Amino acid sequence: MSHLSPSEFIDLADGALADARAAHAASCEACRAQAATVRDALRIAENPGAVPEPSPLFWDHLSARVREAVATEPRPRAAFGLGLRVRPLLPALAILVAVFSVALLRHESRRAAVPERISSSPAAMTTDAIHEADTTLYAGHDEVWAVLTAAAADLRIEDAHAAGMEIQPAAVDRAVLGLSSAELTELGRLLQSEMKRSSN
Amino acid sequence: MLTRTWWGTAEPGYKVSVATPTDADLVEASRAGDRGAFDAIVARHGRHVYQLCYRFVGNHEDASDLAQDVFVRAYRGLHRFKGQASLGTWLYRIAVNVSLNKVGAKDPRPVSFDPRLHAFDERAISSEESASEALLREERAVQVRAAIAKLPKKQRATLILRVYHELPHDQIAGILGSSVGAVKANFFHALHNLKKLLS
Repeated sequence: MSHLSPSEFIDLADGALADARAAHAASCEACRAQAATVRDALRIAENPGAVPEPSPLFWDHLSARVREAVATEPRPRAAFGLGLRVRPLLPALAILVAVFSVALLRHESRRAAVPERISSSPAAMTTDAIHEADTTLYAGHDEVWAVLTAAAADLRIEDAHAAGMEIQPAAVDRAVLGLSSAELTELGRLLQSEMKRSSN
Repeated sequence: MLTRTWWGTAEPGYKVSVATPTDADLVEASRAGDRGAFDAIVARHGRHVYQLCYRFVGNHEDASDLAQDVFVRAYRGLHRFKGQASLGTWLYRIAVNVSLNKVGAKDPRPVSFDPRLHAFDERAISSEESASEALLREERAVQVRAAIAKLPKKQRATLILRVYHELPHDQIAGILGSSVGAVKANFFHALHNLKKLLS
């Protein structure tokens, strides 16, 4: 029978090793010696003792410090994985939004293929609603879609207005809905190129 | 009856009749912008987070800074907390990361162990133990802490979580992002190396 593996030695120390393997450990001199080493080391590791209890006032102090630190933080947002990655790209993405707004006008006719409940109330559309409505449109372009919707979530409308752009809610979503597969591929290329440029 | 937010603490003499909120309740309320709920998370988990940080850095000053950092990062990352692991496990994961970053930084402050760790040791000098025996035991403890500080990061984290926080292997695996088998193997190697460093 083979010697015990490292994880089996830990199981042995925990008293959780299978009977057959424990029997081997008891009869094998090498495994017995190794098991004794593990037990010794465990005893030694427990030596340093407890963490000293800080002053009773410390816990209130810690709470106050955390409260003060998070007071300046924005409210935690809903789950969104790409925010930090996208934020440095906002200026470039704002330009892309403007481009898509033009694309939106160009592809008005293609939007007729989008389900009625979306196209009938564009101002009230949200990214989630669009995702629910038709995910097949973005097959093969998940990454492009993810980056763009992240941009839409992070883009502050007031910043865009300050830059002279008239952006309506869900403008990015609507613009992308109107793009063809080839245009989405080109968009992905542009985004990757912009990301590389920004990270250099 | 005192009416306050349900995680608030009652003034002396008053009773709050509502049930204790779960961690999930507090996370949800924090996400909704209730800072009081996040205060309650800090109050509930602060001690464990502090003690874990202390095990890595060995002194109160750094441990309290790290504990604060853990909670600030947790607040920022609340939107990423999916609830698949417990809130405590998630906070431990953050604490291990910030602590390992601290002790593994390129130009770290030397780890200075708090002398109170000796004085407040729960196995402090007993009536049967002579002063010289106590001194020897304390010297040994200093050597052990120094040896633990020299272990590779994952082995060190595994040993601290297992020996000092008595966490089960599967929870340690969740904290370190490893498999249970890898945690046990890391623990074995940590003990093996500890013995070697001290021999």
